[in-house]
Amino acid sequence: MNLFSRIRKFPFWSWVWLIVGALYFLIPLYATLRHSLRMERDVIGFKAYVRAFEDPAFFETFLLSNLLAVATIIASVILIVPTAYWIRLRVPEARRITEFITLLPFVVPAIILVFGLIRIYSSPIGVPFTGIELLQPLTTTKLGTYALIVAGYMVLGMPYMYRSVDTGMRTVDIRTLTEAAQSLGANWFTIIAQVILPNIRSALLSGALLTFAIVVGEVTLASFLGVDAFGPYLFLIGQHRAYEPAALSFVTFLLTWFAMGLIQLSTGGQGQAAGAH
Amino acid sequence: MAYLTLSNITKQYGDAVVVDDFNLDVEKGEFVSFLGPSGCGKTTTLRMVAGFEIPTSGKITINGMDVTNNAPNQRNVGMIFQAYALFPNMTVVQNIGFGLRIRKEPESAVKERVKEMISLINLEKHADKYPYQLSGGQQQRVALARALANRPQVLLLDEPLSALDAKIRVSLRAEIRAIQRRLGITAIFVTHDQEEALSISDRVVVMYDGNVEQVGTPFEIYNFPKTPFVANFVGSLNTAVAELTDPAKGLLNVDGVQLASAAKMDGLKKGDKVRIAIRPERFSFASEQKKANVLDCQIENITFLGSVVRVHILIGKSKFTIDTFNYPSLELPKIGATDQVTCSKEAVLILGPSEN
Repeated sequence: MNLFSRIRKFPFWSWVWLIVGALYFLIPLYATLRHSLRMERDVIGFKAYVRAFEDPAFFETFLLSNLLAVATIIASVILIVPTAYWIRLRVPEARRITEFITLLPFVVPAIILVFGLIRIYSSPIGVPFTGIELLQPLTTTKLGTYALIVAGYMVLGMPYMYRSVDTGMRTVDIRTLTEAAQSLGANWFTIIAQVILPNIRSALLSGALLTFAIVVGEVTLASFLGVDAFGPYLFLIGQHRAYEPAALSFVTFLLTWFAMGLIQLSTGGQGQAAGAH
Repeated sequence: MAYLTLSNITKQYGDAVVVDDFNLDVEKGEFVSFLGPSGCGKTTTLRMVAGFEIPTSGKITINGMDVTNNAPNQRNVGMIFQAYALFPNMTVVQNIGFGLRIRKEPESAVKERVKEMISLINLEKHADKYPYQLSGGQQQRVALARALANRPQVLLLDEPLSALDAKIRVSLRAEIRAIQRRLGITAIFVTHDQEEALSISDRVVVMYDGNVEQVGTPFEIYNFPKTPFVANFVGSLNTAVAELTDPAKGLLNVDGVQLASAAKMDGLKKGDKVRIAIRPERFSFASEQKKANVLDCQIENITFLGSVVRVHILIGKSKFTIDTFNYPSLELPKIGATDQVTCSKEAVLILGPSEN
């Protein structure tokens, strides 16, 4: 192979764009890391990290946000996977309206969503003109508030989760696999759990990753619903301190990726089910 | 009573009638093919047997049990798809054992049955592979084993060979037939490939535009087509318009050339115009052995088709083809030369009145 053909084989512009893209993400990350290490004048050290970890509120809020994120992911999968599956299988004509609905969180800000939730669920819900109460106010109990915030997070994460799942299903012949499973005696639950879900694992993982990232850093819903989540904590720290927020941001970034690594490992260490090409 | 019966099955989508009053009895262990062009309703009929479509009217019974409105997972029918439909996240062993595990059969029984099925399809070396690691033919054999593992009452095959290359198709169809015979399972096979249908089936159902055109053995379908569609769709065919000159003696006139036919001419009278059909292989050159019809012809062209040589001739103004076996000592006529061809009375079929 001569030099000319070697140069032609080298995808120059592909590498340029890859490097530019990587720098776009890595430079802010590096700047945050660098800033977090310079709490003491002329010394590079981990003092900001030590300070941040000394605060028990960090672990409490971070753990709560992680739990809320996991709950949101589970609830989203339970809601979105069967919905996207059914739409692909039986009502493809409903895809447009569903896509429109899933895009609404982009145009309806979180502040509107949270005020709507508070407006509806802070007083008992009953049948009009009968005095019959169906649901006690959710905002008055911790569990109720958590349920509300998870519901809100589901809405915020819906565009990402739905699109990931829908794209995943597009790569699999849903109809034929369903019919094959049915002819072998499988019911709907078995089909979704054993045939569909494993084959869209990669799509689910990317949807889960995005939902996780949204929930862990979310501020608006948590602040207005009075949930001591990590987002409002980070916001508060950022208003009073200089270096700890940078340290926490960097740690959060690493922990988020660690959590996603764990999810990937727990799903068999393979994004897409083996053979689902 | 037949093992599988389809009685007066009709399927409509809105105003469109896709299958119209379909009736069929299939005996236990019989291999029946649905043959027809795209859109003739053969796959829809198969899917109604599988339970993926519910008939608009009519009744389907399997082993005496009415399954017309049963869900697919309550019918115990095995289905094989054109696209294999193996579960990509499962190995060969897991795919084959899937249905047995759904039925909650003991694990030891599942393992034993899976082993038996893998040996049936000769894929022992590939047992732990995923579908994407197998060739198309191997995948379809796994799909066959998976469908058979459940011991289905009826095996349904929806164009299972269409996605395979020609050689694999021929070998796999023989394998499917051999396994079906060995297990004595009732099978329905959908195909648009006439060679496939004729070579594999006990009986063939030829369908067109939602209707059954003819049901018969491959021999009957090929040699005694009952409708013009069957005659044209199955095998190659020479057709021409002829005028009846003597219905009692079966005499016809094609472009001034007299022909004799053994076909029944009930209801036809002298002067009626009919469409006749002669299979290319029923002709031979008159120099070999003269039969009832000896016709003057002109040689137009000669085409080699491997084991067969196709000679294009002109009888009167009508074009015909003759198929003859290709053997080294074959003496072929010259293009442009005149010759004589011959065929028996039985070879001249009458497809019906001609509109021309």
